[in-house]
Amino acid sequence: MKRFIVLAFMIIGSVVTASEVGGEETEMMPPVMEGKERVCLDCHRCANVNTNEGVLDSRALCLECHGKEACKKEVKEHHISLMLTPDSFKGSRHQYVACIQCHTDVARSPHKFETGAQCLDCHPVHGGETANAPHLRVSCQACHRKSKFVVLDKNADRVRLSRVDDHKVPIPLTDHGLPDVSDQDFCKRCHNPRNQVGASSVVLPSKSFLCILCHNAPLVMGHGLFWAAFLIFIFGVFLTLRFWFKGSVQGEEDSLHRKIALTSETVWQAIFSREIFSILKVVVLDVFLQRRILQESVKRWAIHSLIYLAIVARLALSLVTYFAYRISPDSALAVALIDKNSPFTAFVYDFLGLLILVGLVWAALQRFVFRPVYVARESQDNIALCMIGLLILLGFFLEGARILMTGLPSDVAVYSFIGYPTARLLDLFQWKWIGVYQYLWYAHAILGAALVAYLPFGKMKHVFNTPLTLVLHHRSEPSQ
Amino acid sequence: MAGKSERQEAYERFCVLHRFLHLVAMLGFTGLALTGFSLKFSAQGWAQAVVFLLGGLDHVRYLHRYCAVVTYACVVAHALWLLYFKFLLKGSLTGPQSLFPRFKDLKDLFQHMAYFFGKGGQPRFNRFTYWEKFDYLAIFLGMNTMGLTGVVLWFPEFFSRLIPGYFVNVAQVLHVYEAIMAVALKFVVHIISAHLRPEVFPLEKSIFNGKTTREKIMREHPGEWDVICRGLEETGSEVPSEKL
Repeated sequence: MKRFIVLAFMIIGSVVTASEVGGEETEMMPPVMEGKERVCLDCHRCANVNTNEGVLDSRALCLECHGKEACKKEVKEHHISLMLTPDSFKGSRHQYVACIQCHTDVARSPHKFETGAQCLDCHPVHGGETANAPHLRVSCQACHRKSKFVVLDKNADRVRLSRVDDHKVPIPLTDHGLPDVSDQDFCKRCHNPRNQVGASSVVLPSKSFLCILCHNAPLVMGHGLFWAAFLIFIFGVFLTLRFWFKGSVQGEEDSLHRKIALTSETVWQAIFSREIFSILKVVVLDVFLQRRILQESVKRWAIHSLIYLAIVARLALSLVTYFAYRISPDSALAVALIDKNSPFTAFVYDFLGLLILVGLVWAALQRFVFRPVYVARESQDNIALCMIGLLILLGFFLEGARILMTGLPSDVAVYSFIGYPTARLLDLFQWKWIGVYQYLWYAHAILGAALVAYLPFGKMKHVFNTPLTLVLHHRSEPSQ
Repeated sequence: MAGKSERQEAYERFCVLHRFLHLVAMLGFTGLALTGFSLKFSAQGWAQAVVFLLGGLDHVRYLHRYCAVVTYACVVAHALWLLYFKFLLKGSLTGPQSLFPRFKDLKDLFQHMAYFFGKGGQPRFNRFTYWEKFDYLAIFLGMNTMGLTGVVLWFPEFFSRLIPGYFVNVAQVLHVYEAIMAVALKFVVHIISAHLRPEVFPLEKSIFNGKTTREKIMREHPGEWDVICRGLEETGSEVPSEKL
């Protein structure tokens, strides 16, 4: 009896369902296409796209339509071809990647393409080098596809491939070939003097690792300018070390080998003993927190700390950014830190820059306006202060010019609370900022490189000398 | 009979550079083993736990290469030091007190085995015993072959332009099996023969603090002590141990 009831329900149920399906007016795939009767697995191939065979099988389905000349769409009375040839993938890095692995939202009915190719499913964002932070608002295809027409989409605040050419004629974007990124020719589609996307009119070099003092920087030396600065820096360090080893070490007068051996032995023993804790204390209190300067004068401590601690904070932030990007390039943290326009990064960079500038102005006032008797006015000090001050000022102008040039929307740019007003100020000059930007950039880079090269020579030598003296002083007077 | 203080008189066995390189290579090698095996045996639960703790597969790959660069930098630094030792300090790289393998090491090995079975006395080891030389050469040569196969795996596109593609597969096989051998050698044989010998158990400190004592040299490296004494007799000053 039970069986009959179940059977009866099943029959009634299937009749009701069938009538519901028949009642809807959905467009079904024609059961016969090109004279051949279709079976389910013709389309629902369940290809394993992790294998090369599966990729080709899956792609074959797409090419059944997209491989034909008749595959077109109509845009403003223009017929745009949507045809692809299998040959266009030959030799490409995506030769064995299925269409649906990038175009993740197309395998559906109705067949539509909304989200675009999902490059970031496999590839990380660029964190530095040539394609540095401003390129975070450039879509991957704008550089990595062969079409040379690009546009700044102001609504989405993104630079992307244009769907029309220079004469506003719609163009197909079906060429899946990838441009050769080993030469920078393809950069010129944006980086040219007539670009409308807010790119500098020339391709500027990458930041160097030397820039890590204040900026997120890649592990490359980059432009020859930085190499020169680095070599001068190394030479200066070498001269300093030679000077240090001129004197006698624990009674040894002549042999440099013995002097180095004795010094390194002392350092080794200090590191691997309990003494390291008291040395660390000196490093934290005297070197990092500047206790000795604070004991002498709160004002001097404030001036020095504004400059020094802000630079240390910039360095620390750069290092955190560097490692966050290396550990997880796609994480929200890494992207927020490498993006100069993200609220936190924009604010903190400006704020720390401002602190340095305040410290420098205060120091300059002490030296040249108030002139208390105890302030020594050495020309070496003035050179160092001028270099840092100019570097920061140029940095702010550069930031303003970048915000202006890239046409950053005000709600994004406002977190750069110095850069954005600077941009508005610079806007008063009706200059061609995409052309001017490179000069500001080079001025900032040259000054930065000069500062690094100058570190072991003039006043900046105290960056190495003073901590060392403090530690040595502590060792010679352990009772204190 | 020498007094206690004389027996404990300190001698330098390893200079600061060697201690430093040993320390860095030790940490780098451990890092390489941990990350490398976690990548190789990624299906195992322990490997997945390590990968999770280290921040994901990509970061483990990055760490593996980072450790590789650091460890290989030690090899480069050591090779430069060998040149410095040979040409500026005028030391001997192949002499009896060097780490270079000699026929005496084979004789020492047989005599040592005989000694273990109660036949004859201990061999008179020089500055470095045969197992110390083996340990040294194993890692010095091994790091080069691991480095070579490692860069082929790191930059397969570049190398497959120069050499046939199957070399990448060959490199993969060699890299894995040599890694297993190297880890077994360092973590088992080296630690037992260097640190867990009854004389020094639980730790041979001389590679960390660089120091050894007169008593220790006389007992463990009598051949070296002979040379030091000869230097004392001839010149009135001892031969600095780093010149040996």
